Amino acid sequence: PICPNGSISCQVSLGDLFDRAVKLSHYIHSLSSEMFNEFDERYAQGRGFITKAINSCHTSSLTTPEDKEQAQQIHHEDLLNLVMGVLNSWNDPLLHLVSEVQTIKEAPDTILWKAVEIEEQNKRLLEGMEKIVGRLHPGGLGNELYSRWSGLPSLQLPDEDSRLFAFYNLLHCLRRDSHKIDNYLKLLKCRLIHDSNC
Amino acid sequence: GQPPGKPELIKCRSPEKETFSCWWKPVSDGGLPTNYTLFYNNEGEESFYECPDYTTAGPNSCYFDKKHTSLWTIYNITIKATNEMGSNISEPHYVDVTYIVQPNPPVNLSLALNKHTDGKLYLLMNWSSPPLADVRSGWLTLEYELRLKPEEGEEWETIFVGQRTKYKVFSLIPGEKYIAQVRCKSDHGEWSKWSSESYIHLPKEFRLKD
Repeated sequence: PICPNGSISCQVSLGDLFDRAVKLSHYIHSLSSEMFNEFDERYAQGRGFITKAINSCHTSSLTTPEDKEQAQQIHHEDLLNLVMGVLNSWNDPLLHLVSEVQTIKEAPDTILWKAVEIEEQNKRLLEGMEKIVGRLHPGGLGNELYSRWSGLPSLQLPDEDSRLFAFYNLLHCLRRDSHKIDNYLKLLKCRLIHDSNC
Repeated sequence: GQPPGKPELIKCRSPEKETFSCWWKPVSDGGLPTNYTLFYNNEGEESFYECPDYTTAGPNSCYFDKKHTSLWTIYNITIKATNEMGSNISEPHYVDVTYIVQPNPPVNLSLALNKHTDGKLYLLMNWSSPPLADVRSGWLTLEYELRLKPEEGEEWETIFVGQRTKYKVFSLIPGEKYIAQVRCKSDHGEWSKWSSESYIHLPKEFRLKD
């Protein structure tokens, strides 16, 4: 049992918190990848969307490590702060994605279901991360990072091609950012729980 | 003679999420010596750069070392083929290193007979992650899959073992000679090739079950 019988102030260990967070981040990225590939196959073939999806994620203002060296040099507090910032920045778009995906012509249930599941799991991961941060830095992490999303109007455009590109771009960015979060959390877990000796 | 045909980029691969290489298919060159140049630029950059290393990954390839490799960004890659009659450029190829990770096979697969505390014998399989794969820091997370079969057998028994690097096998036939292999994949990437084969010949009186 997580909490032995009779114990009052029993806490889940930091290691278990990280295990759960990594399981969730892994799951969220897998879903995001599947959703992107499914959408790409069904709606994006031959439209050249990738050439327009360059440098257009709403979270690109958050400067994140882009290779192993940068990721290992950054202090864990800053990396945690970045993870929180990216997660928080996805709350709003994921909420709208769930409703707007239903307006796509013949959107398969599998895409709808994944949008709902990702939105829920992203919230759970955020809650878990808040516990981890609270455990590691009771006083908080200082300046909270957040990148506002203003893409709702483009998901509602009358022109089909523009609207499909807006969805493509959002799913492309979700796949990318969910991978970043998953990668950083696995790194943090090894660093903080296993002394970089996983 | 003719100008060269249009070159085609075949594959890009990163073995450890720190470097990557791309390969292209040589074109029909009409017998004239043809030279290849790879150009790339990164998402959000205007200028194009030339391949930093045409040799490390073998013929018709470009190798991007750590300094030239970034994740979570799209590389726009084109190949130019040139001969004395003219040149031709490939279609652009868009690559994000994040999604082209295919590790090298695991190494040092060893098979050994061991005795369990309850006296039963089992086969202990042990292996190591591929060299250069940084699993220790958590940058790369690898999962493994084993396969095992009697030497003369047709059917492999395949076992997914997650992130472990050792595994106990109990259900084997005494007196048989077994072949084993292991492969790995990064948490969100492609399976590696299978490792080289390892063998073990079980003694006849190798009693597994009561």
